[in-house]
Amino acid sequence: MLRVKIGGLALKSPVIMMSGIFSYGEIDLKYLDYSQIGAVVTKTITLEPKEGNPQPRIWEAGSGMLNSIGLQNPGISAFVSRHLPGIMERGVTTIVSISGQDSGEVVRMIEILLREGVKAVEINLSCPNVHRDKPMVSQSAEMTYRLIKDSKSASGNMLLIAKLSPNVTDIAEIAVAAEQAGAGALSLINTVKGLCVDIEGRRIVEGGYSGPPIKPVGLKAVYEVFRKVKVPLIGIGGIEKGRDALEYILAGASAVGVGSGFFSNPGLPGEICSAVKDFILANKFKSIRYIAGLFNEKEENSSGKKKRN
Amino acid sequence: MESKNLKIKGIEDLSAGHWLLELENSFSEKPMPGQFIHIKVAPFFLRRPFSIAGCDRDKVTILFRVAGEGSQVLSHARKGDVLSVIGPLGTPFPLRKRWKKAFLVAGGTGAAPLFFLSGELAGQKKDILFFYGARDKSNIMFRMLPAGIDFIFSTDDGSYGEKGLITGALDSCLKGGFLPDVIYAGGPRGLLKEVAGFAEKFCIPAFVSLENRMACGTGLCYGCVTKIRTREGWEYKRVCKDGPVFSASDVAWEED
Repeated sequence: MLRVKIGGLALKSPVIMMSGIFSYGEIDLKYLDYSQIGAVVTKTITLEPKEGNPQPRIWEAGSGMLNSIGLQNPGISAFVSRHLPGIMERGVTTIVSISGQDSGEVVRMIEILLREGVKAVEINLSCPNVHRDKPMVSQSAEMTYRLIKDSKSASGNMLLIAKLSPNVTDIAEIAVAAEQAGAGALSLINTVKGLCVDIEGRRIVEGGYSGPPIKPVGLKAVYEVFRKVKVPLIGIGGIEKGRDALEYILAGASAVGVGSGFFSNPGLPGEICSAVKDFILANKFKSIRYIAGLFNEKEENSSGKKKRN
Repeated sequence: MESKNLKIKGIEDLSAGHWLLELENSFSEKPMPGQFIHIKVAPFFLRRPFSIAGCDRDKVTILFRVAGEGSQVLSHARKGDVLSVIGPLGTPFPLRKRWKKAFLVAGGTGAAPLFFLSGELAGQKKDILFFYGARDKSNIMFRMLPAGIDFIFSTDDGSYGEKGLITGALDSCLKGGFLPDVIYAGGPRGLLKEVAGFAEKFCIPAFVSLENRMACGTGLCYGCVTKIRTREGWEYKRVCKDGPVFSASDVAWEED
C-alpha cells in the first residue's frame, strides 16, 4: 500500500531520510525501524574532500534551526572506499547526494558511482552554505538545464534527482528546466536562506533554515511544480509529524523527505507511514499512488498526466 | 543508544540557578561516565544535550544551570512529567587498570560528568583527588559531592577553598611532585586547554569532556564538530559521536 516508485527506483515506503541529516547511512540507530524507510540520501559528497564551515554550524531560530555545515565530507574516493560498501550491504536503498563546482566535476562523480553500482544520485544544486556570494545552480533555469543535461549524458540508467532551492522567483520554471534536461525526479525543497543575530555574541549567524516554519514554503513549491512537470516529486521541508507528510503527498509529492524534524521526533518515519496508511484506508483508496496530488487538480492546459506513481 | 520517554523522579533547586533532575533509568544499556543524554524540551525544536552526572539502576541524574530559554523551561518541569530522551550517547571516559591514581579537574557545571566518574572510580577503589573550581561558594554543588573522596576547592572570589582558578591549585600539586596516572577534566574551554598543557608537560594521559551546540546528538549531522589534530594538521570531528570525551593531546587547542 505504501510502495512507491521514484523514477525506476522502487521504494518500500514513501519515507526518505534526506541529505545532511543521516550522515552516510552508516550509523546504526537502534531506535529506528529501517523497514519504515524507503531510502536514505547520503550527506552530500564532493569530488575533493571538504573540511566544512567553521562554528557556529547550528543555531536554533524560532521554531526551527539554521545550519551551516558547508558540505564537510571526505571526497568521493574516500566515500567510495570507506562508506559505500557498508551502506550497500545494509540493504537500505541508498541515494548518493553529490555536488560539484561545474558539470565536469558532477559528471566525474557520476561515472565513479555508476561503476560502483549506485542506482540513484541526488544532485544538490541548492546548498546555501558554500560560496554565499555566488548564485546557486538552481537559481538559474539555464544553469540547471545545462548541469542536468551534462549529467544525463554520463549517467546511463542511473536515476538523477535534482534538489532545488526555494530561494527563487519561480521554482516551477527551474523544475521544468531540470525535467527537460533529464532529471527523473525532483527534491523540493532545500533549506531556506536565513540569518540570525546573536546579540550577546555580537555577531551574525547565517545558514539554511529548516524545521516546521518552512512547511508552507515547501508545500507551495510542491503544489506549483506538480502542475508543471510529470516526474515524481519528493516533498521536503518542515515535516515533524505524520500529518505533515500526508499534506505533502496530497499536494503532489510521491514521496517525502525527512529532515531536521527527525532530530526532534525520532518516531517520525513510523508516524508518517501510519498517517498515510490511515488516510488511504479511511478514504478507500488502494495505494499511495492514488493520493499523490489528490488535492491538486492540474490546470487544463498543462501536459501533466493524471495518474502518477 | 535508545529513544525513550522517561518519567521525572525528582527535580531539585540547588543553589545559584543550578538544578538536579532525576529521570527513571529504563535504558537497557548501562550509561557510562562521560556520556550524555539528549532531551527534548518542548516547545523548542532542538534537543538539549546534558552530561550524565550520576546513574544507578533506578535513575539517571543530570545537573544543569539555567543559562538560556531551554534550561529555563526545563527547570519548571515537575516530578511525574515525562521527557523524550535519546541516550546514552557519546564516548565515555576511558578507564585502565594501571591508572590507579586519578586527578579529576572540574570548573563550574563542567563538573557534572566528573561527579558520575568519581563515584565509578571510588567503587573501583582508585585513589582520587578532585579539583573543583567555581565562581563562588554558591556555585559549588555540595549536594553532588560523593563521600570518601578528597577534594581541593577554589573560587574566583575566595568565598570557599583557595582564591583563584582551580588550575592554579592543580599546577602547584603537579609542581610539588604529586603526579597522578591520569587526569580527567570538564569545564570551560580555557580550563581544559590549561589542563592539556600540564598533562603534556608532565607526560600524564589526560581526557577532556568537550561541549558544543548540537542538533542530532548522534553523529548524523556534523553540526557540533571541533578541531582534532591529524598528522597533517587538523580535521573536524563530531563532539557528539567521536566525543564528547577526547584525549587532551588530540584536541587542536592551538587553532582556538
